[in-house]
Amino acid sequence: MMTQTRRKFIMAAAFGALIAAAPAFAQAPSGKLVLYTSQPEKDAAQTTAAFKKAYPNVEIDIFRSGTTEVMGKLAAEISAGQPSADVLLIADAASMEILKGQKQLLAYPGAKTDGLQAGSFDADKTYFGSKLITTGIAYNTAAKEKPTSWTDLDKPSYKGQISMPSPLYSGAAAIMLSTMTARPDLGWKLFEGLKANEAVAVRGNGAVLRSVATGEKAYGVLVDFMAYNAKKQGSPIDFVFPKEGAPAVTEPVAIVKSTKNEAAAKAFVDFILSDDGQKLALSMGYIPAKPSVGSPAWLPEGTKINVMASDIAAVVKATEADKARFATMFGN
Amino acid sequence: MSLADTATLRTRVEETGLLWGLVGLVALLSLLPIGRLVVEGLAPGGQFSTTALGKVLASPATWTATANSLITAISGTVLAVLIGGTVALLATLTDIRARNAFTFCFVLPLMIAPQVTALAWLQLFGPSSTLLKLIGMAPPLGSRNPLYSREGIILLLGLQYAPLVFLTLRAGLRALPKELIEAGLAAGASPLTVLRTVVLPLMTPPLVAGIALCFVSCLGNFGIPAFLGIPGNFLVLPTLIYQRLAGLGPGVLSEVAILSLLIGIIAMVGILLQDFMMRRRDFRITTTSSAARPFELGRWRAPVETLIWTFAILVLALPFLGLLSTSLIPAFGVPLNAATATFANYAYVLFEHAASKRAFVNSFLMSAGAAILIVLICVPLGYFIVWKKSRALRLLNLAAELPYAMPGVVLAIAAILLFLKPLPVLGVSIYNTVWIIVFAYLARFLVLGLRPIVSGYLQIDRTLEEAAQIAGAGLPRRLVTIIFPLVAPAAVAGALLIFLTAFNELTVSALLWSSGAETLGVVVFSFEQGGDSTYASALATITVLVTVALMASTTLFAQKLPQGVLPWRD
Repeated sequence: MMTQTRRKFIMAAAFGALIAAAPAFAQAPSGKLVLYTSQPEKDAAQTTAAFKKAYPNVEIDIFRSGTTEVMGKLAAEISAGQPSADVLLIADAASMEILKGQKQLLAYPGAKTDGLQAGSFDADKTYFGSKLITTGIAYNTAAKEKPTSWTDLDKPSYKGQISMPSPLYSGAAAIMLSTMTARPDLGWKLFEGLKANEAVAVRGNGAVLRSVATGEKAYGVLVDFMAYNAKKQGSPIDFVFPKEGAPAVTEPVAIVKSTKNEAAAKAFVDFILSDDGQKLALSMGYIPAKPSVGSPAWLPEGTKINVMASDIAAVVKATEADKARFATMFGN
Repeated sequence: MSLADTATLRTRVEETGLLWGLVGLVALLSLLPIGRLVVEGLAPGGQFSTTALGKVLASPATWTATANSLITAISGTVLAVLIGGTVALLATLTDIRARNAFTFCFVLPLMIAPQVTALAWLQLFGPSSTLLKLIGMAPPLGSRNPLYSREGIILLLGLQYAPLVFLTLRAGLRALPKELIEAGLAAGASPLTVLRTVVLPLMTPPLVAGIALCFVSCLGNFGIPAFLGIPGNFLVLPTLIYQRLAGLGPGVLSEVAILSLLIGIIAMVGILLQDFMMRRRDFRITTTSSAARPFELGRWRAPVETLIWTFAILVLALPFLGLLSTSLIPAFGVPLNAATATFANYAYVLFEHAASKRAFVNSFLMSAGAAILIVLICVPLGYFIVWKKSRALRLLNLAAELPYAMPGVVLAIAAILLFLKPLPVLGVSIYNTVWIIVFAYLARFLVLGLRPIVSGYLQIDRTLEEAAQIAGAGLPRRLVTIIFPLVAPAAVAGALLIFLTAFNELTVSALLWSSGAETLGVVVFSFEQGGDSTYASALATITVLVTVALMASTTLFAQKLPQGVLPWRD
C-alpha cells in the first residue's frame, strides 16, 4: 500500500516535470544520433557536448575527419546501400548540393531560418549554413608588404612567397576557385599570375597556416578564423579581407534522407540554428550565420565583410573542369 | 590398422585441416577486400560497366602518377637498400662498439609515422628552420624548400624504410655460421672477398625479402608524397586516389577501385620477380653454430663508428627535435626559448582531451592484438609455404601482398563495403566497432609478419623437425616445440614491425574509426588538419616516447629470451 502511494507520487512528479519541459522539448527526441562532420577536433567536441546538454536523452555518436574522408566514407556507405549518418555538418554547400542532387538529403521545411543571413540556406531547405567562413590573405608579420587586394598576389614582388590550399583537397578552396574564376575582374588571369609567381598549392588550410606562421612563405590564401586564432595565441601572422571581397563557405548542416532518428536529427538542426547554437559558433571564433548574436572579437568593430557572391549551382557545375584546369596549371 | 598407421593418418588429418584453415583465413583477409574492389570497379551497383575503367585508363593523370610512383618507389628502395644494407653489414659483422645502442637508435625512425617525419624534415630546411636560423644560414622568407620535389620524396622514402632492410638483413646475418666465414678467411681470402663470395650470396633471401617489402612500402606510402608532392603537384598513385576521392562525383568509388588495382598490379610484378629469384636456388644453412667472430676494422674502426653514429643521430634526432620543438611552443612562429616554452599542449592532450586517452588504449590493444594474431597465423603458414611447398598457399602468399600495397584509405573503403551490413549467417555487425579496424590491420600487415618468417624458414635446416616427425610428434606438437623456437627470431622481428607500424598507423583507421574507437593516428591527423599542429606534435611526441619505453623495457627481459629474438639486441 505504502509503496504504491509512493510510486504514484513519483509518477505524478515525473509527469509534472514533463509538462513543465514540454515547450522546450515538444517531441522530446531520444535515442541514437550519428553525426558526420569536418569541424576541427576541438569544435566538434564542444558542439556535441552542448547538444547533449540541451537534449540529454539523445546519445550522439560522431565521425570527424577532413571533408574528403567524410565524403569518401559516406560515398562508400551509400554504395553499399545504407548510409549510417543521420546528420551532416561539413565545410561547404557544394558537397551538400551534390548530395542533394543524388537525393540523399531530407528536406526540413519546418527549420527556423528567421534571422539567418540571406542566402546562407538552401531554398528547398535541405541544408542550412551554420556560420560564415571567409577566405582572405594571411601574411607573416615579417613580410615586406601588406596586401590589400587579390591582384596584389600577382605582383612581381610577391614571387615565390605565396602558399594556398589546394582545391583538389579542400572543399573551401574548391569553392574559392570556382567563385573567383567566375569573376570578370579576377578570373583565371589571377591564377595565371599566381602560377607565374610560383605560388604553391599545399594540402589544406592547416598547411597554409603552418607555412605562413613559421615564415616558410610570407603570404597565404587562408580562412579567417585560423589566422586570427593563431594570431591570438602569439603567432607572427595577420589577416586581410581583400578589397574585391572574400569568398566564403557556410559549414552547412543537413539531415540524411535515410535517417533512423528524424526527431533527433531535426532537433540537431534546430540546435545549430538556434541562438544558443549560434552563440557557440561565435565563442569558437566564427562569424555566426545569425548576425543578431554578434560578431567575433577579432573582427574590428563595425567591419563590414564584403562576401563574394557565389552561385552554388554554378559552382557545382564548374568545379570538375576548374579543378582539372587548376591541376594542369600548377603541375610541373 | 597398426599403431604407426593410425599416427600417420592422424597427422595427415591434422595437417590437412590446418592447411585448409589457413587457406581460408588468408583468402578471407586478402582476397575478399580485393574482390570487393574489383566488383566496385567493374560492376558498381551490380551492373557490369567499363565506364570507370575507360575513364581511368584514358586519363593522362593516371599514367603520369603511375610513372611517378614507379620512379619514387624504385629510387626510394635503392636508397633504402644502400643505407640499410651497408649499416646492417657494418653493425652486424664488424667489431664496432656499442652495437645494441646503435641498433636501437637506427631502428627508432621506423616508429615515427611517415607524415610526421615529412613535416619534421620540412621544418629542418627552408626559411622556417629553427636550426638554420640558429647558425645564421636560414634562407630568406619565401625561398623554395628543396624537399618539395621528386628528389625530396625519394630521399625521405629511402630514410624511412632503410631500417626495414636493416632489420630483415640483420635477422639473416645473425644466422650466418661462423665456420663459413672462418673457412674463407683461413683459405686466405680478404674480408671483402668473403663478403662478396660467401656472405652476400647466403644473404639473398633476407635481402630480396627486404627489397620487396621496401618496394611495396614505398609504393603504398601516402604521408610522404602527400606533404612533399602536393605543393609541387607531383602526384603518385596514392595521392591521385586521395584527390579523386575529394572530387566526389558519381562513379568516384569505381575509379578509386581501379586505380588501387593498378597499384596492386605494380606491386605484384615486383613480388613475382622476387618469387622467381628465390625459387632458383637453395639457401639453407645450419644454425647450430654460434655467431661469427666479427671482422676487425682496425684503424678504420673509429672513423666508421663516427660515420654511422652521425648518420643514425641525424636521421633519428633531427625529425624528433623538430617534433619536440613544435610541441613546446604556444603557437606557430613563436620562437622557442625559456620564456615561451610551455607544457600546455601536453596538458591538453593528456588530461583534457578524452579522445586522446582512449586512442592510446585502443591503438595499443589493436596493434598488439594484430601483431600476436598475425604471428600465430604466419608461423604455420610459413611452414606450409616453404617446407611443404603448398601450391595453393604460394599463390595466396602473393595475394597477401596486395592489401599492404594499396593505400590505406582504399583498404578502408573495401572494408566499409564489406562490413556495412551485418555478417551473413552470424547476423552481427562489426561496422563502427574496433573489430573492423582489427580486420583491416590483419589484412594490411599480414605480409609484414609473413616476409621475415618465410625468409627465416628458407634459411633453417629442416632436419630437426623431420627427426621429430619420424619420432612420431604430431604437427601441432612440432609447431610448438620445434618449429616455433627455430623461427622465433624472425617471428618476433615480424611482430615488432607490425606493432610499431600499426601503433602509428593513420590512413586505414581514418575512415574506420568511430566514437570510442579512435586511434592515435586519427587524433594526430585531426589536430593537424584543423591547424592545431602544436597538439598534434605533443601527442606524436608522447607516442614516440611510449614506444621507446616499450622497446627499452623489453630489453630488460632480453637475457631470458632466445638469442636474437629482439631485433635491436645481440
